[in-house]
Amino acid sequence: MICREWNGDIVVFNQETGSTHLLDEFAGIVLRRLMASECGATVGELATALAHGQDAREQQESKQAVSAVVAEFARVGVAHADAS
Amino acid sequence: MILADLSRSELERRLAGPGLRLRAGPVVTQIQSPLGAVADGVALHYAAHPIEGSDGFADFFVRVDRPRNLRRWLHPQAVFYIDGEAPFTPLPLDQAFPLLEWGLNWCISAHCHQYLIFHAAVVERSGRALILPAPPGSGKSTLCAGLIHRGWRLLSDELALIDPATSHVIPLARPVSLKNRSIDVIRAFAPAAVLSRPVHDTTKGTVAHMQATPDSVRRAAEFARPAWIVMPRYEAGATAALTTLPKARAFMEMVNGGFNYSVHGRKGFEALARVIDLCACHTFVYGDLEEAAKLFDALATKS
Repeated sequence: MICREWNGDIVVFNQETGSTHLLDEFAGIVLRRLMASECGATVGELATALAHGQDAREQQESKQAVSAVVAEFARVGVAHADAS
Repeated sequence: MILADLSRSELERRLAGPGLRLRAGPVVTQIQSPLGAVADGVALHYAAHPIEGSDGFADFFVRVDRPRNLRRWLHPQAVFYIDGEAPFTPLPLDQAFPLLEWGLNWCISAHCHQYLIFHAAVVERSGRALILPAPPGSGKSTLCAGLIHRGWRLLSDELALIDPATSHVIPLARPVSLKNRSIDVIRAFAPAAVLSRPVHDTTKGTVAHMQATPDSVRRAAEFARPAWIVMPRYEAGATAALTTLPKARAFMEMVNGGFNYSVHGRKGFEALARVIDLCACHTFVYGDLEEAAKLFDALATKS
């Protein structure tokens, strides 16, 4: 995966599929976290890493947002979902 | 030697016989055609272009001719051949020259993969290229035709050729395709512009081609450095206005208008990213060509 960033927006090139995707700032942050984790990460781990100073309700919303982003990543082949 | 150095009879002899080897930018095409409409179009629009000897290299071998069947006589048609194959549906005979132009566009966009090729007009001033990517009907060619009659040099009306190694835009000065109302708009805006007789009822409506300016043809070896990507849109009555386009969005717009971006893979991604780095990116709406030309004049002067 190759990324370029301009003013918070990220464009990703997937070398496996040859496809190019535009990510908004939040999706870009999730992707960075995912790429930084050597063995992948769960939605919960990603949400926790992004949940600085959030209350329980906000954390739940973050988890849902991360889950949606990861599902989209899986759909377009930017990330692989692992059921385990 | 340029095409205007040939007599009309010699031009027709070559077209109907061994072929005319015509250079447009980096591309040499051998053209054969016995059709008067093709000879007329080539003579009008490529007069200042270099021609090559028959012993040299040609990138494409094309022919525009009548079909080899009864349609030859009933509702006469023209067929575009490349290497003896006809990749397109025949068109009415009076569309023979537009067919040649559209066929040449296809030849380049489908084969010249040494370049990154995008669907965009490109004009140049002071060594800096203004890239105008836009879908059909957006007013791209009208704006391009207008700008080259207000001090900009034509690099291409339809195909932006970008060298992936240097990021330079490679000139491909060929006729500008004008459609429908834009034909009269350009006639009024630039009375000195040389236009072909309009051809009606094409798949794009009424089409006329405008000759590339002699300066654009003469300077075909002068590359340009990308400086602006501007997505134009004509809107009746609109005041000319540039709006900043986020670079990542501009990247995706270019990808969507790419003819061979996917062919280049990672190198294409990286090369396009370098082009985006070099450019200020905008959307542009305009309703008056004179106002648009002044705005781009100011843009080129101040930045």
